[in-house]
Amino acid sequence: MTGGLREPTADDHGRLVRDHSDVVEQLVAADAVLVALGRSSSDADADAVMTTVAESARRLCRCQGVSIYLLHGEEFELATTVGLPPEFRSHVAAHPIRRDRETMAGRVALDRRIEQVTDVLTDPGYRRDVQEFAGSRTIVAAPLILDDEVVGAISLWRANVEPFDERATAMLQTFAAQAAAVVRNLHLVRELEGRQRELARKVEQLQALNEVGETVGSTLDLDEVLFKIILNAVRFAECDGGSIMEYVDAERRFLARTTYPSSPELLSGLRKINIELDVTLVGRAASEGRPIAISDIALVDRDVHLELLYGDGWRSVLAVPVLRHGQIIGVMVVRRKTPGNFSGDVMDFMETFANQSALAVSNARLFRELERKSAQLEVASEHKSDFLASMSHELRTPLNAVIGFSEVLLERMFGDLNERQDEYLRDILNSGKHLLELLNEILDLSKVEAGRMELELSVFPVRGVIDDTIALVRERAALHGIILSLEIDPALDLIESDELRFKQVMLNLLSNAVKFTPDGGHIAVKAARTDRRMTVTVSDNGIGIPSEDQERIFEAFHQGRRGPSREEGTGLGLTLCRRIVALMGGVMTLHSEVGVGSTFSFTVPVLSADGSVEPDNRDDTDPVVVVVDDDRRSLDLMSAYLDGHGVRVVRARDGNEALDRIRRLQPVAALLDIRLPGIDGWEVLEALQADPETEEVPVIIVSILDEKSRGLAAGAVEYLVKPVGRDDLLDALRRLRVLPGNNREREL
Amino acid sequence: MGARILVVEDNALNLKLIKDVLEFQGFDVVTARSGEEGVAVASSSSLDLVLMDLQLPGIGGHEALQRIRADSRYREVPVVAVTAFAMKDDVKRAEAAGFDGYIAKPISVRTLPEQLAQFLPGGS
Repeated sequence: MTGGLREPTADDHGRLVRDHSDVVEQLVAADAVLVALGRSSSDADADAVMTTVAESARRLCRCQGVSIYLLHGEEFELATTVGLPPEFRSHVAAHPIRRDRETMAGRVALDRRIEQVTDVLTDPGYRRDVQEFAGSRTIVAAPLILDDEVVGAISLWRANVEPFDERATAMLQTFAAQAAAVVRNLHLVRELEGRQRELARKVEQLQALNEVGETVGSTLDLDEVLFKIILNAVRFAECDGGSIMEYVDAERRFLARTTYPSSPELLSGLRKINIELDVTLVGRAASEGRPIAISDIALVDRDVHLELLYGDGWRSVLAVPVLRHGQIIGVMVVRRKTPGNFSGDVMDFMETFANQSALAVSNARLFRELERKSAQLEVASEHKSDFLASMSHELRTPLNAVIGFSEVLLERMFGDLNERQDEYLRDILNSGKHLLELLNEILDLSKVEAGRMELELSVFPVRGVIDDTIALVRERAALHGIILSLEIDPALDLIESDELRFKQVMLNLLSNAVKFTPDGGHIAVKAARTDRRMTVTVSDNGIGIPSEDQERIFEAFHQGRRGPSREEGTGLGLTLCRRIVALMGGVMTLHSEVGVGSTFSFTVPVLSADGSVEPDNRDDTDPVVVVVDDDRRSLDLMSAYLDGHGVRVVRARDGNEALDRIRRLQPVAALLDIRLPGIDGWEVLEALQADPETEEVPVIIVSILDEKSRGLAAGAVEYLVKPVGRDDLLDALRRLRVLPGNNREREL
Repeated sequence: MGARILVVEDNALNLKLIKDVLEFQGFDVVTARSGEEGVAVASSSSLDLVLMDLQLPGIGGHEALQRIRADSRYREVPVVAVTAFAMKDDVKRAEAAGFDGYIAKPISVRTLPEQLAQFLPGGS
């Protein structure tokens, strides 16, 4: 290479020109292949790319023919060929080219490198039939290698003996790489398509399962659930029909529950036959715990069930066990009118589906059982309340006579009494009154426990009512030298509550305080307002309650050890008071120290009935949400959910009250139950929509009924099905932009 | 002779108690143990006031009131209800039904005569 430069000859020049045009042509060919490759996304496109590769190879390598083969196992499949008659394709299909030394494709696949045979006629090992088809003499071939694995071969031939030069073999190398890329692309596409199919099937499965889940959620009707299950199973398995058999353990046989498509004839036929555990297809699938398919009913020994299906025109059937915790629940059967196999995919899906269905079925059963139980409980509880109500009436009537006659005598209406007669009559009178009080409290308590105590809400001046109850105990307190003091927050004026029950609670606490405060003691009553609550405290400087008794005194018939008492209590008063306060939406608490005294407090929500009658407006800037429900527990729950979120909850117990409050208060939202006494929720909604003053008030229906579309059509902005969670409710209100962003900050 | 009062009450002891107390105060008392009997007594005598329990066997206090009022002589005669519970609803219902007033059980024998006197013109 040190010999210096040599003058270029004409020959050199010609070669350079040829090389240049070769390179250009090769680039163009590569470009064409790449473009085709980029477009290819299916088998048909892949064939076209292979053909492009083959044609480019024939042109650039100056030969008569090119074949590209793909290796499947030990045999080659002809992907494309140029320069060979069409019959060649069917010939190699019938007489496959293998990975052996009989062809160039086979040889390069074995040796994994480019090989050339200068004259195939001198090669005794070469397959004559292939040679004759092509009329080939010089053949060169290269393996297609993908990820170190031979996936095919490309072979080029000339009809005359003219060996391929280095340039041609180098280009062949490139074409082999291109063809391998096509194969890779094809693999990727196939894999992708497979995944897409898999995904689509998963989506379908999920949809089917979801539909079943929704059915279970929305209906308690087991037959409806089962029908939905088999409908989805049939659709998914691409069958023509199906049925669900329930296993009757005691009889070791199966009972048809439902069929799809709905066929009363087939169903009653299935119910008439005896599908036993041990001798039927259905029974075997259940006892073996695996799906069993029959691809052609005509060709097998038919049990009673199969015989019936065969007679009804069915030809293939798949029975899938429905198991729960290893127990046989039943069997799901899908069938076709035509013979045929069931794919592994279908079998797999059906097994999953059957498991899900078992869950659905047992849920539906639980629901049904629960519903029956709670209906029974409700009836029992009603009986108990009725019994108590009538009992206490029967007991009260004679007590009235006892009280009345002792009073008549004590009044000396019919003559004078001596001291002892007077004393005994007072004992009779007091015992009678005590019994009457006890009866009334038992009745009240049973009403509360049965959820039957109704509060009668009215707006009343709280100061006046507290004054009245204090007046009732003032005389008794004065007798013992007990000082009664009262302090009422000036911000307290009108409250909305049950006046009678409020008095009952006040009186109970005051009477207790008088009972347990020693002579010359002190009782302080305070009523203060905090936020939207009123807190009433009754404190005494009596003997106090030991901490271990502080919770027990609220239990029925526990009077606690509160030392000497002036008179007997019923042991029910505090229990009842705490319940009543809870009903009113408040809490009752006790703070006590032995030797210092006791303080009973209770809170009640201050529901100002109308902003205008409230002189101090400090809390009325909060937006109002009207909650309409006839069930107190629901109202309490909704109020609790909204507590601390910067809205004022105003309750309504029936349709009329709802309309009244919504018209008067113009709330930022209304939560509306549908089942209401008197005019129901639908009518309320209609009336609100018809009134220009209220049509803008956003109504959120909160109902046990699942009639969302009807609700939205009627004008509701949201529809929540009970039971409603806190977050569901708050989210709904946030969507309406009713709730302020962060109330805690606002309050601080 | 004091005003004539009809007491309708199904419980014999309570009836006796009310009768004795009212007679002691100088009223002329007639009695009935049921709504039907009360209507019959009213039609066969002339009364100044009726004291009627609401919970009665048979036709009940409300129905008995309607029948007594149907007699033109009793359009203006006060009829006072006796209710077991002094619940606002009961009171409202009684007033709406046309009772002139109500007395809550348990009846106080000390105050009953005064309570009834309010309904009588010029007292007893």
